[in-house]
Amino acid sequence: MRRWVLGLLALAGYAGLLRFAGAGVGGLLLDAYQRDRWGEAGLLVMGVLAAAGLARLLGLPGRSGALWVGGLEAANYLLSLALAMARAVTPRPAFGAVFVPFGWRYLVLGYAALALLLLFLSALWVGVKNRLTGRRQSLLAFYGYALLHLFLWSLVLLVFYPVVQIVAASFDPTNNLFSFRRVDSPFLLIRAKVLPDFARVSLANYRALVQGVRVPPYQWGLLGLSAALLLAALLVGAWGRIQDDLKKRELAGRLLFLFAAALFLLVLLVHPGQFHGLGTETKFLLWVRNTLLLSGATGLLAVALTAPAGYAFARFSFPGRYPTLLAFIFVQMFPGFLALIAIYYLLSALDLLNTFTGLLLAYSGGIVSFGSWVYKGYVESLGRSLEEAAYIDGATRFQAFLRIVLPISAPIFVFIFLLQFVATYSEFILANLVLTGVEKWTVGVGLYSFTTGQFQTKWGIFAAASVLGSLPIVLIFYGFQQYFVSGYTAGAVKE
Amino acid sequence: MHRPQGLAGFLIEIGLLAGAVLVAFAVGAAAYWGLEAAFTSPQNPEGVPNYLILVTSLLALVPILFLLARRYPWITDWYYLLPGILFILAFTVYPIVLTVYLAFTDYSGLRNGKPDRSTETRVVGHAGRRLELALPADRGLRCRRPGCRGELIELVGSGRRGDFRVEAARGRTLVLTRAPAFPPAYAYRVNAFHFVGFKNFVFIFQNASKALLPVFGWNVVFALLTVLSTALLGGLLGIVLNNPRLPLRNLYRTLLVIPWALPAVITIQVWVALLNKQFGAINRLLGLLGVYPIPWLLDPLWAKAAVLLVNLWLGFPYMMTATLGALSTIPDELYEAARVDGASGLASLRAITLPLLWPPFIPILLSSFAFNFNNFNLIYLLTGGGPPAEGRLSTAQATDILISWAYKTAFRAEGQSAYGLGAAISLVIFAITVGISLVNFRVTGAFREERR
Repeated sequence: MRRWVLGLLALAGYAGLLRFAGAGVGGLLLDAYQRDRWGEAGLLVMGVLAAAGLARLLGLPGRSGALWVGGLEAANYLLSLALAMARAVTPRPAFGAVFVPFGWRYLVLGYAALALLLLFLSALWVGVKNRLTGRRQSLLAFYGYALLHLFLWSLVLLVFYPVVQIVAASFDPTNNLFSFRRVDSPFLLIRAKVLPDFARVSLANYRALVQGVRVPPYQWGLLGLSAALLLAALLVGAWGRIQDDLKKRELAGRLLFLFAAALFLLVLLVHPGQFHGLGTETKFLLWVRNTLLLSGATGLLAVALTAPAGYAFARFSFPGRYPTLLAFIFVQMFPGFLALIAIYYLLSALDLLNTFTGLLLAYSGGIVSFGSWVYKGYVESLGRSLEEAAYIDGATRFQAFLRIVLPISAPIFVFIFLLQFVATYSEFILANLVLTGVEKWTVGVGLYSFTTGQFQTKWGIFAAASVLGSLPIVLIFYGFQQYFVSGYTAGAVKE
Repeated sequence: MHRPQGLAGFLIEIGLLAGAVLVAFAVGAAAYWGLEAAFTSPQNPEGVPNYLILVTSLLALVPILFLLARRYPWITDWYYLLPGILFILAFTVYPIVLTVYLAFTDYSGLRNGKPDRSTETRVVGHAGRRLELALPADRGLRCRRPGCRGELIELVGSGRRGDFRVEAARGRTLVLTRAPAFPPAYAYRVNAFHFVGFKNFVFIFQNASKALLPVFGWNVVFALLTVLSTALLGGLLGIVLNNPRLPLRNLYRTLLVIPWALPAVITIQVWVALLNKQFGAINRLLGLLGVYPIPWLLDPLWAKAAVLLVNLWLGFPYMMTATLGALSTIPDELYEAARVDGASGLASLRAITLPLLWPPFIPILLSSFAFNFNNFNLIYLLTGGGPPAEGRLSTAQATDILISWAYKTAFRAEGQSAYGLGAAISLVIFAITVGISLVNFRVTGAFREERR
């Protein structure tokens, strides 16, 4: 009896301590979290009783009892959190929205029906197949795969839901965020605007983005040229892959390079004077041009800075090579934007605020380390025989680097360039800080002006701009997917 | 001269390079001042743009390096590294040092270190250190200190300019601490900032319960839960899609990677629209399921949930890809052997996949933590740090993390452009980030194999 009381007291002590710590941490982390005192007390008593009873029942020593109390405490914490979040929801359907009371029941029923249907189909398939082939395939394993596919497709739908919504919104001229108009359709999902209404596709939003843009003929010509080059590169590349012809694939690479050069020339030649539209959204193509220019320049700078540095690390053995390498990697730990106030000060002292040069310089410090590291690894994997042959032919060290090593490094340069390109395209914090004029904005900064400005009336245009602004990066990503996947993960695995 | 080796060699070579850069900078600065003097006039008090100093220094550096290479041929090893090193020094290291300095000053929008052109006052006469202004000094220069004592002013005249300190002022007469070497035509007050010691840090720690502690706590919880949720979903998908007997696995992989393929700076802003309480697409979908409209971005708790959900959507494809990459290094023979030994799929998952997945996965988790710890884009673009939470500084709201707090303190209206204070917050973040990175290096041992 005495032991029981002592144990209970000890557990109560644990509980009190945990509660104290929990309340402290809870109050600190989640300030909106207001504790319900009576519910708390009840849960506390229940927790202590349950823990004590369980510990007694299972004959556990005090430490396991504490674990029990801790677990209950955590559950209690999550429960109060859920209650607080539930309390923040007003039980009133949104005005003008389709609301189905207890709609989740239909979802659960629907999934159950689908699971049953799949079971039936699996049984049928496995039965027929086993009968025909005479093997004994397990129904359970096959059904497991079927359920896995159901799960994966549900996930794909969920993941794509935002994408579908934004693409649909970009084609819907009346879809400003505050339109109460109901869609008339026999289908519930379309009525609820969960699925897009294909009956009303319009390009008005896209037209608004290019309103008042004057494009001189030579720019059309350049655009056509780059499009033709891209198409040719894709065709030749596909052909080369089918025939497994290395020459054709090299040609495709060269065509792709020409395409990039033509596009870069076009980007350089576009200037703010061509944009005569009213409203900031008509500058959208200018923002795209600015972003491409900045990303391209940053990528080129990254290659230019890292190629000699990586080569020197890989091939030379000068005193201080290791500490310098160490310093390079150490510097990489500091994301450049952490020093944003100093960068702002520096650029303002240099009169470089609101210039692309200033932003490029702000990026430049952070792009050296990673690329040098990657390129060093690449050169080390090359082997020295080619360079040694060049030395025998009387080449200087710089000539060997320039004529032998650089040309065969093209793939890794493309990798470094693209990585930097994509990263710069998505950069926001420094761009928002440095680029203050509408005509200098990047896509990200420009879109931010939609969401913080007169967003209510420009939802459709915002959607159209998002779709167009995402296109370059999606194309690059899917076009060079192996690069990204192997590059990121290999780097992460190796480092 | 024979090339010196070892530490001495390293120091000598670094010294030579540093000397070359310093000489080039001195020559460039001299050239810049020459240009400045030639182009400054009362009509154009700003003179030439200041970045020309970079251009002139660079132009001076090239011949110096050339001469250096003639004398010490082995120094050219460093020329391959020099561009990278210079950029790192100028735009990573120098800003960090500058941040440390600014953190101890009252640098702010009102004290930005620049001459205030609205305080232009004509100088009507001067003799030695004594200036005669067209207006009383207090009115013309709008001094911040009583009697203008110690105030910094800029004088411009006959194509030259310079900063001078005021010793005393009486009516329209100013006495400077030193005499200008040129006849001044106009005077401007400089919005000087000053060294304030630990004042910014004292402010941060005095208001710790209103900003630092809750923001830091949420920052850690946010980064941890993000890593946990993305690693769980991504890892699960990676393991599922690694199964070569699963049909369509490459299609799933291509489809599910879409959040990573889209530029985050755009998708995060799209999410703001989707999470709108009354009209957002998410609540429309939930309405069909009988869920009342959720105040995603309006309630402090729900905003935190929204931040985590959006970051899960954004982050799981990377984890999935990383898992697939790590799993592809596990040889198939292991699974074959397990199957021969009669192990079930679950058993081989527990005995082969998970143990071999861990070692390459830890650095990925750590770098993901470090990235999300400073995930400014997500917080700033999704919630802007809001919604407001009670009892907090106006710059540190419910979903603010340290970096967004620093940014808002320095550059947003509610922070009143307190650059110095923002720099002090940045220093706190620096310390934490370095800590995380050091742990990362320790765990991964990135340098061990490099020593040779």
